[in-house]
Amino acid sequence: MAEGSPTKPAERPEYIRIKFDLPRRYNWSTGRYLGKLYAEAKENKRLMANRCPKCKEIKVHTPTPVCPKCKVDMGWDWVELPQTGTVFQYTYQVYPLFDPHLGKTFADPHPPAIILLDNGVYLRHRLEETDTSKLREGMRVQAVWEEDYEKRGQGYQDILYFRTMEE
Amino acid sequence: MAELTEKLEGMDVWLYHGKIHIPNTYSAGAVGSRFLIELRDNERIMGTRCPACNLVYVPARSVCRDCFGMLSEWVEVGRRGTLLTYAVAYQPNPVQPWEPPVAYGIVQLDGADTGFVHMLGEVDPEQLKVGMKVKAVFKVKKERQASILDIKYFKPLG
Repeated sequence: MAEGSPTKPAERPEYIRIKFDLPRRYNWSTGRYLGKLYAEAKENKRLMANRCPKCKEIKVHTPTPVCPKCKVDMGWDWVELPQTGTVFQYTYQVYPLFDPHLGKTFADPHPPAIILLDNGVYLRHRLEETDTSKLREGMRVQAVWEEDYEKRGQGYQDILYFRTMEE
Repeated sequence: MAELTEKLEGMDVWLYHGKIHIPNTYSAGAVGSRFLIELRDNERIMGTRCPACNLVYVPARSVCRDCFGMLSEWVEVGRRGTLLTYAVAYQPNPVQPWEPPVAYGIVQLDGADTGFVHMLGEVDPEQLKVGMKVKAVFKVKKERQASILDIKYFKPLG
């Protein structure tokens, strides 16, 4: 074929691609103990945890009927967690995550952090501050709740993030 | 990202509703693509014929199920056919195209030797009978998108 002569692309048959994207639905029940946490978060914007009668340790993630350490019945001893604390450790996301609920990758701008609450327990949550240069360990943070009652009911996620407190 | 949680009546228990998306795509292949394109462009239901076994397959397939010969002879089959069997779903399910009851049938089209699975519409499920004559109802041209659902359903004749 002479160089520079217009060439016609070869005819290609059309192929059909079949798309299938149907969500698989599932339900799970919280049970009594986690249900208490969900109810208090939704109704009163309070973060609850239960305490072992033997070792007196507070179980933050998540409330359990049996102490994982002492293997005793936890009873019904609840404490309200303070909503302020200091950042113990943090990280931030560089590569987007895969979200199985939407089937897409997504980038959560909020840095996940372990927060040392004022009563001395550690809570895993995320920070509001998206500018990574302003993050530091030991900074004071405060919980920000979802204000819409209808949107609450997600347990720990009823707290949107922890906001840096003005000093 | 939960869809919703609800409190169960009279219990300290919450029910969490979740869902997982699994996006999926697959190719219909050379024969399947031609079958779907004929539905979309020409409102024709095509089958492939095996000259050795003298069988017409609808929907079209590339290999004969009996002699494993490659099938290259395309034939058009009629839009009308005979209902071989059917089932009626009364439970709702997200895959269903409309509210239950949804009737599914296997139809042997005129000129075909195999059954063709599709929905049955414009009929009271109580009135369905094995052996009744049914007819394909196509979507209008601009709604057709080379899918098996370009045929809306089969409806009883007369």
